[in-house]
Amino acid sequence: MMMAKKWAKFLRDFENFKAACVPWENKIKAIESQFGSSVASYFLFLRWMYGVNMVMFILTFGLIMLPEYLWGLPYGSLPRKTVPRAEEASAANFGVLYDFNGLAQYSILFYGYYDNKRTIGWMNFRLPLSYFLVGIMCIGYSFLVVLKAMTKNIGDDGGGDDNAFNFSWKVFTSWDYLIGNPETADNKFNSITMNFKEAIIEERAAQVEENVHLIRFLRFLANFFVFLTLGGSGYLIFWAVKRSQEFAQQDPDTLGWWEKNEMNMVMSLLGMFCPTLFDLFAELEDYHPLIALKWLLGRIFALLLGNLYVFILALMDEINNKIEEEKLVKANITLWEANMIKAYNASLTGNTTGPPFFVHPADVPRGPCWETMVGQEFVRLTVSDVLTTYVTILIGDFLRACFVRFCNYCWCWDLEYGYPSYTEFDISGNVLALIFNQGMIWMGSFFAPSLPGINILRLHTSMYFQCWAVMCCNVPEARVFKASRSNNFYLGMLLLILFLSTMPVLYMIVSLPPSFDCGPFSGKNRMFEVIGETLEHDFPSWMAKILRQLSNPGLVIAVVLVMALTIYYLNSTAKGQKAANLDLKKKMKQLQLLVASNFHRYAGDPGVLLTLLLKSNDLCKVPENKHCGVAILFKP
Amino acid sequence: MVHDHDFKGHLHGDNFQISLVSHSQITRLYSRFTSLDKGENGTLSREDFQRIPELAINPLGDRIINAFFPEGEDQVNFRGFMRTLAHFRPIEDNEKSKDVNGPEPLNSRSNKLHFAFRLYDLDKDDKISRDELLQVLRMMVGVNISDEQLGSIADRTIQEADQDGDSAISFTEFVKVLEKVDVEQKMSIRFLH
Repeated sequence: MMMAKKWAKFLRDFENFKAACVPWENKIKAIESQFGSSVASYFLFLRWMYGVNMVMFILTFGLIMLPEYLWGLPYGSLPRKTVPRAEEASAANFGVLYDFNGLAQYSILFYGYYDNKRTIGWMNFRLPLSYFLVGIMCIGYSFLVVLKAMTKNIGDDGGGDDNAFNFSWKVFTSWDYLIGNPETADNKFNSITMNFKEAIIEERAAQVEENVHLIRFLRFLANFFVFLTLGGSGYLIFWAVKRSQEFAQQDPDTLGWWEKNEMNMVMSLLGMFCPTLFDLFAELEDYHPLIALKWLLGRIFALLLGNLYVFILALMDEINNKIEEEKLVKANITLWEANMIKAYNASLTGNTTGPPFFVHPADVPRGPCWETMVGQEFVRLTVSDVLTTYVTILIGDFLRACFVRFCNYCWCWDLEYGYPSYTEFDISGNVLALIFNQGMIWMGSFFAPSLPGINILRLHTSMYFQCWAVMCCNVPEARVFKASRSNNFYLGMLLLILFLSTMPVLYMIVSLPPSFDCGPFSGKNRMFEVIGETLEHDFPSWMAKILRQLSNPGLVIAVVLVMALTIYYLNSTAKGQKAANLDLKKKMKQLQLLVASNFHRYAGDPGVLLTLLLKSNDLCKVPENKHCGVAILFKP
Repeated sequence: MVHDHDFKGHLHGDNFQISLVSHSQITRLYSRFTSLDKGENGTLSREDFQRIPELAINPLGDRIINAFFPEGEDQVNFRGFMRTLAHFRPIEDNEKSKDVNGPEPLNSRSNKLHFAFRLYDLDKDDKISRDELLQVLRMMVGVNISDEQLGSIADRTIQEADQDGDSAISFTEFVKVLEKVDVEQKMSIRFLH
């Protein structure tokens, strides 16, 4: 008995400890009290992403980077681990390192550094296998965690039935109890008033249909402009990537800062300015603000998605070029080796004993390493994105707030109430930016194991920086329109981005040949052959035989069919249970009406009421509900 | 200092199930109680509650504060404080299934909704009448909406919620209106685990 009590106490203390360990809770509470729960939801989302990235970082760091650092061959021992002779002079310059070339390129940060030996170190750590499995595990873990979060929130959504109790919900649930700041409270009062006024107008306007044709034409026009913008931005990115390829051929010293970073800047700037354009076009459309918000989010999503995919297409182009180049380099290397051996033999003809045949790794000609190039592109994009965001916040929010605050005294009109006034915190823009950055991380982390680590740093600083910026420079929103009642809208987008970003990676793993002289899979035909190799060497032979039988196409098709049937079955069971649920609810309602309408007749006499209920057992036809009437009557 | 083992003993004997509150939670609540109690006489008055900014600017703030004080009294001691806050304990999964036949715990969904209902039903006749709704609406929107518009909003609300035709919202109808709201999560204070 004492043990059980002590165990219960231990569990409770552990729960309290876990609650106390949650980071940044005070910061988020302070923001919640000043800005309301919708702004705070962005920071909660940021914190959740930090957790997901932390797990990915631990996996990549602990199982890929650390073993290579501890047990792999050191820098300079192999050609792939050494800066080529031609670039040696500038390898440690800041400019070169900032671009992730030079010493940064030939380090554990990128794919190309890793050796393809099957085991390394005294523990026989299987690095190529671990590299492959960690990549797949990160993707699998991300899917699991996003789906889990979505199913947890599914109760929140309530099936969207709030139209039945529109006004009642407005009366009983509009106040945000977490607000503690008088100015925010005033804003909330105003927004509640606005809400009621709009609801009244909507009720009346639901009957009036005015000038349908003009509205339809304007909406068509607005959509046409939006398509133009999307097409224009796609073309701009494609053109910028082609230009960056040309720049790559030229000598880096002749290029200015803009030329070197052109592509990243173009992508970031497009992401910043196009949403404002969309806002402008939405003026033509004249939708209800909630619907307009959904259209805006949809368009920004399409813009960012389009940009991402154009970027990937351009990258694929580049990869194919590099694979072609590789064939040429291979041919060159055989020539070069033949020359070297000839020169060595020539130097030996003099003395029989000479220096051993030795070529410094920096002098060996290298193949182009397309995987490292992909990793570099994603790392550069992430870094430039971070910088653009921070600079935008500093200029757009902080400097603007300083200007409005200090120049107000000597300005003709009131800066604080008119234009430009203080900025509001753009929740949806920030959430979308976060989601897309995460998509880039998912795409790039297979080719640059350091990317989750860089992202952790970024999210950490973002948390502090944005918390400070929000409290210091922003004002609470005048009208609060949430895109959805639950977080499932944004989680749904995150899931879509996860799916769309892992597809190119999986395609590249499955169908492109790895580079012949860099990375843990060099020398293989395809990257996934490492699994086959492991099965042959490390598992007993009977297992390999069984697995070979299992990969029989007939069996695979059968398994896929069974899975499809299971999904169909579970889906229809879920539908059936939902229908049964609704049915039960209807019956309960009927019963309540029955009790209420008969109560005044038999008031106070439970016996008669009981008989009445038991007689009306046709309302309780469902077997488990035999006592449903009684339960309702006697519930305290 | 904190004689919380005394409280624990008392509470075990008491019928309402605060017995599931832990030692550390009582300590935390007591320290909050003492920090609010500026007069240091072991009880809280209405002015002490008014000092909390979130309550001061809440349109229903006065009614929430009243919910702490028993009928007709002006001071609330620590037990009363805890009893009211016990409504806001989160509902734990393993509690849902046990003890179906015992008295319902204070933090059940039904009792949470009852707490909310009592905020609106001032005359305690188990109904929210049109006048009570008008009072709430007036507090929420100030003077920005005309009386007649407020009246029509109140009528519309009752029309939506009322099922038995008595032009008032009873507790059952109130429960039905808030059926889809996740009351268990929204009316819970996280640290009271």
